[in-house]
Amino acid sequence: MENEAQEETKEASSVLVAGNAAHAKPKRTRIRRLGNIVARVVLVLLFGVGFFLSMLPQGRATARALLILPTVLLASEPAPLTLVNDPVRYTQMAIPSRDGTTYLDIYAPTTPTPLIPGTRGGMLIVPGVGDYRGNAVPQLVNLDLALAHTGLVVINVTAPTLRKYNLSTQDSDGIVQAFQLLAHWPGVGADRVGILGISGAGPATCLAATDPRIRDQVAFIALLGSYFDATTFLRAFGLRALTVDGRTQPWHPQPTPLMVMANFIATALPHYDGTLLVHAFTPGGPPLTASDLAHFSPAGLAAYRLLKGDEPGQTDANIAALPPEVRKQLAELSPSTFIDKIHAPIYLLHDRNDTSIPFTESREFAAALARIHHPYDLAEFGIFEHVEIRSGLGLGQLLGDAPNLFRILNEVLLPGS
Amino acid sequence: MLILSLLWLLVGILVGLLANAARLQPASWGRQRWLVIPGIGALSALIGGWLCVLLLGRYVATPMALWIAVFGVVLVPWLRYGWAYALTRRRSHQESKSTSPTTMTSGDPSPSQ
Repeated sequence: MENEAQEETKEASSVLVAGNAAHAKPKRTRIRRLGNIVARVVLVLLFGVGFFLSMLPQGRATARALLILPTVLLASEPAPLTLVNDPVRYTQMAIPSRDGTTYLDIYAPTTPTPLIPGTRGGMLIVPGVGDYRGNAVPQLVNLDLALAHTGLVVINVTAPTLRKYNLSTQDSDGIVQAFQLLAHWPGVGADRVGILGISGAGPATCLAATDPRIRDQVAFIALLGSYFDATTFLRAFGLRALTVDGRTQPWHPQPTPLMVMANFIATALPHYDGTLLVHAFTPGGPPLTASDLAHFSPAGLAAYRLLKGDEPGQTDANIAALPPEVRKQLAELSPSTFIDKIHAPIYLLHDRNDTSIPFTESREFAAALARIHHPYDLAEFGIFEHVEIRSGLGLGQLLGDAPNLFRILNEVLLPGS
Repeated sequence: MLILSLLWLLVGILVGLLANAARLQPASWGRQRWLVIPGIGALSALIGGWLCVLLLGRYVATPMALWIAVFGVVLVPWLRYGWAYALTRRRSHQESKSTSPTTMTSGDPSPSQ
């Protein structure tokens, strides 16, 4: 400013007059000038950062991701972040769908819809196999609240077949209906709603995204620890091994995915085989004896061997011996079959040590998306135990995976920002 | 919201102190400027934060309070200085007109930083 220049000229002239005592003054003036410049640069940076984070959609997505990231990584919301939280109202709903009742847990901010951009974003979360109604899984509720506190409307979908630890294409109908409900929720922008499919809910989520009722509305699909092809997934069970970068490594699945696959295959087997297969793979269920197996049909025996993983050399033969109906349903429940019908960008997240669904499934999914030039992103982690953040992780591990998680969060939150 | 408002006030004061360090204020404000600029920063941040809650949502209110505070501490002194400068020029222009009506005057230059 002019005044400042006058001041500095005054200072300079006083330096000239002061004689010997003024030797230190030019140095002090230089330091002061440097301080002025540094302060101005800091002000410009603060202005830029503040403007970016509040005024641009990319910046608002970044702000949201920065607020949500610590909550996700620490599996609970840090106290200082509660200051910026929008208050949230929790409600439950049930809607009839093709395969039964679909249950919805809704987390919606109670504050008025922001004037800019005039609508809110929304996220539909399909949490996988099991019953997720209410506050069953703290980490899921934590994620729901973290998203809703930043102004998004979140709906958890508990689909009827997934709730019974089984898989069905029919579940996609409930997901489509829940999506339509969220898209028409007061204040929510119809084109700003995406779906997060977790674990076994991934295929039904992808199938829902191909439904003509919502296909062009889905803003994104995010899949956490899901599979791409049900047959290769089943093959991993049979082999008890994965092929990673051309090298075979042992892989021992958790009981829950084995139980789900047993429930799924059992519906197409003779009653005796189906019942015993389900019992054998229910956690804590009685192991089958040789006489039990002697009464099995060839298809039932093939299914048992595949899930038991005791005939790795016969894996492909055992898959071929499954009932044609099962193989058809496996194909129908594989995103690999209908990948080209999905319009939304797809974000894949998978832990490298996942013992429920092999992480190679997400790699294959990403490779297929790259081949057809479909927008996608893949992030691999080491902090998840299948789909939940592992407890007792060191700060180094958390911070190591934070950039990947932040990148995906940023991409996923952009349409709603 | 009270704690958040206090946070914005604090952000504004800090921005004002930074503006003081950057010497963005007119020297004519004298010693009072060390208090006035942080005050302007605090007020700007508070207005920015509340405006953002209404316009964009609470989650981005603090970044908005930040940039509005910077905007305030830079713009308000500039406007104040520009206003005073314009008034002085106008007054001197009128005085010169009344004393020597035949003198031709050029247009007022805009205030420069």
